[in-house]
Amino acid sequence: MPILETKQLIKTFGGLTAVSEFDIYLNKGELIGLIGPNGAGKTTAFNMLTGVYQPTSGQINFLDESVVGKYPYEITQKGIARTFQNIRLFKDLSVIDNVKIAYHQNVNYSVLDSILQTRKYRQEEKEITEKALEFLKIFKLDHKSQEYAKNLPYGEQRRLEIARALATKPKLVLLDEPAAGMNPQETQELLGLIKWIREYFDLTILLIEHDMSLVMNVCERIYVLDYGKIIAHGTPQEIKINPRVIEAYLGEEVPVC
Amino acid sequence: MAEFLQQLINGISLGSVYALVALGYTMVYGIVRLINFAHGDVYMVGAFAGYFAIKTFKLPFFAALVAAMAVCAILGVIMERIAYKPLRNAPRVAALMTAVGLSMFYQNFTIYRIGAQPKAFPKIAQVNWQFAGVTVSNSQVLILGTAIALMIILHFVVQHTKMGKAMRAVSQDRDAAMLMGINVDNTISFTFAIGSALAAAGGVLVGQYYGVVQPLMGALPGLKAFVAAVLGGIGIIPGAMIGGLILGVAEAGVSAVGFSTYRDAVAFGILILILIVKPAGILGKNVREKV
Amino acid sequence: MRAMDKNRLIVAAGAVALGIILQLLIWNGTLNAYYAQVLTMMSIFVIMATSLNLINGITGQFSLGHAGFAAVGGYFSAIITTRLQLPLPAPMIFTISLLVGGLIAALAGFLIGLPTLRLKGDYLAIATLGFGEIIRVLFLNWKYVGAAAGMWGIPGYTNFIWAYMLAVLTVIFIVHFMNSSHGRACISIREDEIAAETMGINTTKYKVMAFTFGAFFAGVGGAVLGHLIRLLHPATFSMTFSVEILLMVVLGGLGSITGSISAAILLTFVSEALRKFNELRMVIYALMLIGIMLFRPQGLFGRKEFSLDLLTDSRFMFKSSKNRGA
Repeated sequence: MPILETKQLIKTFGGLTAVSEFDIYLNKGELIGLIGPNGAGKTTAFNMLTGVYQPTSGQINFLDESVVGKYPYEITQKGIARTFQNIRLFKDLSVIDNVKIAYHQNVNYSVLDSILQTRKYRQEEKEITEKALEFLKIFKLDHKSQEYAKNLPYGEQRRLEIARALATKPKLVLLDEPAAGMNPQETQELLGLIKWIREYFDLTILLIEHDMSLVMNVCERIYVLDYGKIIAHGTPQEIKINPRVIEAYLGEEVPVC
Repeated sequence: MAEFLQQLINGISLGSVYALVALGYTMVYGIVRLINFAHGDVYMVGAFAGYFAIKTFKLPFFAALVAAMAVCAILGVIMERIAYKPLRNAPRVAALMTAVGLSMFYQNFTIYRIGAQPKAFPKIAQVNWQFAGVTVSNSQVLILGTAIALMIILHFVVQHTKMGKAMRAVSQDRDAAMLMGINVDNTISFTFAIGSALAAAGGVLVGQYYGVVQPLMGALPGLKAFVAAVLGGIGIIPGAMIGGLILGVAEAGVSAVGFSTYRDAVAFGILILILIVKPAGILGKNVREKV
Repeated sequence: MRAMDKNRLIVAAGAVALGIILQLLIWNGTLNAYYAQVLTMMSIFVIMATSLNLINGITGQFSLGHAGFAAVGGYFSAIITTRLQLPLPAPMIFTISLLVGGLIAALAGFLIGLPTLRLKGDYLAIATLGFGEIIRVLFLNWKYVGAAAGMWGIPGYTNFIWAYMLAVLTVIFIVHFMNSSHGRACISIREDEIAAETMGINTTKYKVMAFTFGAFFAGVGGAVLGHLIRLLHPATFSMTFSVEILLMVVLGGLGSITGSISAAILLTFVSEALRKFNELRMVIYALMLIGIMLFRPQGLFGRKEFSLDLLTDSRFMFKSSKNRGA
């Protein structure tokens, strides 16, 4: 039983078709790659899955329930979290506040509780702070909890963005080119982190990359998107020798590692 | 029917002034993304410049019009260089507050130097033409004719001159334009000069039409011209013309059916309606944020 | 945590002491009626500026319509105190009128916010400005409240201590709100709306909430103002009034509550001090405004808060408001 399934997902902007024939499924606990050349429509697909864009037509089912037409915040509350290609941290807020904001949906105290600073408010705020700190510890960011997010080095900003996404307690995480702008060593560390969070948080992960070589080692299955269409699907081994994939990537510098 | 036509004519002449002022708003917004709140006061300064050109320097009307446009063009350039240029990379609200400060400065400096009392603007000899129960005055024809002529000149400048091309390039992408060897500073100054000159023309025409000028005359028409610019699609030159005309006709219409005290609300009512239905304006394209 | 509680106690005690001292000085005549009025105006502008900061600075929504909400609050509270003959003691009538004024302003804020808050940046600014002007024109045409002649004969219920207490309550409300998860939701919208939404935050709800709360306090401020100057006229609540309040928020630093308070006090003082220049007053004011923006476009405090840590921790002059909950 797939945790996420899309059927004939289409997105057009004016007359331009950005994504068509986007059919994928993810089983619980899988780590799946979505690859494709630049401009293939990968991020557009992500935006539809998370409600940032409304699909022109098609179905998205998450945990046997359609999420088409839902607001992004509702989809997050259902259990899909994401990161962004260009990091979208709350730059002028502290590291810990970035994580605390992700806890918002689990807060039970009301506005009135906060104004009157009731017991309930103080209790919950204390818990949130403690939980956020613990969480940062897992991602080795606790010693920087009071720094502005914008002052973190690039790699740590990526890590914080992943931590923040996971703090919403998702079942499925969509990572949009998390290795963009990283050097090979940082990339290796990141892949290690991704494998580890999948185990630790019991997650299903969909990973966008435009560099194929990166996903070959970690993903169980890979979807290849080109000109808005899924042109191939299979294990890394199958993808490597798929002629359509090779054709799509012809001209790209490193087809296979 | 005659009444309707009459209001339509009144509306169009009022609207063409809104359009002239709106052009300056829209061009400046298009090129530096700034709502130049002082633009309405440039229109006022232009009206006063025309007033003094006729009263003190005894210039004929059209010479006074050109003189006022020249004065305001220079004023526009100075204003941009001193007050806006240093803030190009500052938070946008800072530039907006500066614009408001400039607006306050123009109004209050004029009150301080000239006085708050309205001044009688010398009118040209009034001629009325009647046909089919509709009255058209020569000052209405003057407004419409001048406005159309200026818009044709503007269209030519923007579409067919090198400077016009530079303006369009800078409004598309300032950095790219700079890399292509366009002098961005001069282009922006030029835009302010043209916008301010058009506002001045509007001021002189309105002064001539109503026969009075006063220091606060620019505040409300300035806001409404801005509404006209948004209505047509801000940053789009033909949009400002369309927006101005629609606004002028709508206001004349509301006055005609006896709600003249609500006239000022109409402009903003239309504004909110268009913002909710089509935020980019009549001719604008909706753009969405890239994620 | 302990140090923070101690600091808050000091601030609270200081605020109470300041109010009592100023009121005593007014009673024994050290501060004459004119100074009492200036202090009252400062308090009113603190209410206005901090509440606008909730919308513009904390939630990042550019509103230019604060004068409109102040007008709604002012007029409706004055209807309570002048048109209805309530058989109650004056302080109770005033309290009721403040609440009614604030609530109706909040309702206006809610109704205006719902459709307009989809707009962003400049467009939102223009839409709120438009609504402010429409509200003004409506009052200009409403005969029951005097239309263009203005509303006269409003009882002078406002005095320094009323205005001061309300200002303190407003600041407490906004600071407590800011330091809660709900406040953080608003701040996250300012920082990055799309990211906020993917963090599970209902951005529309929080934008409308900030707008409604801001409008409530603007309404209360307008009500207090009306019962101070005892005359309401639509011209009082023109765009210039909105701009004056916005200036305080920008000067103090968008998002900084202590900044808004300081700027409200400073600008009210400057405005009064310039009175002796008569006609030149507004010219100087305008030049100052331009000068400040040119030399300090991010406002006096930026987004930071001035705090007592200045005294206890010499390393930091300013402490980030965002670090407070930790």
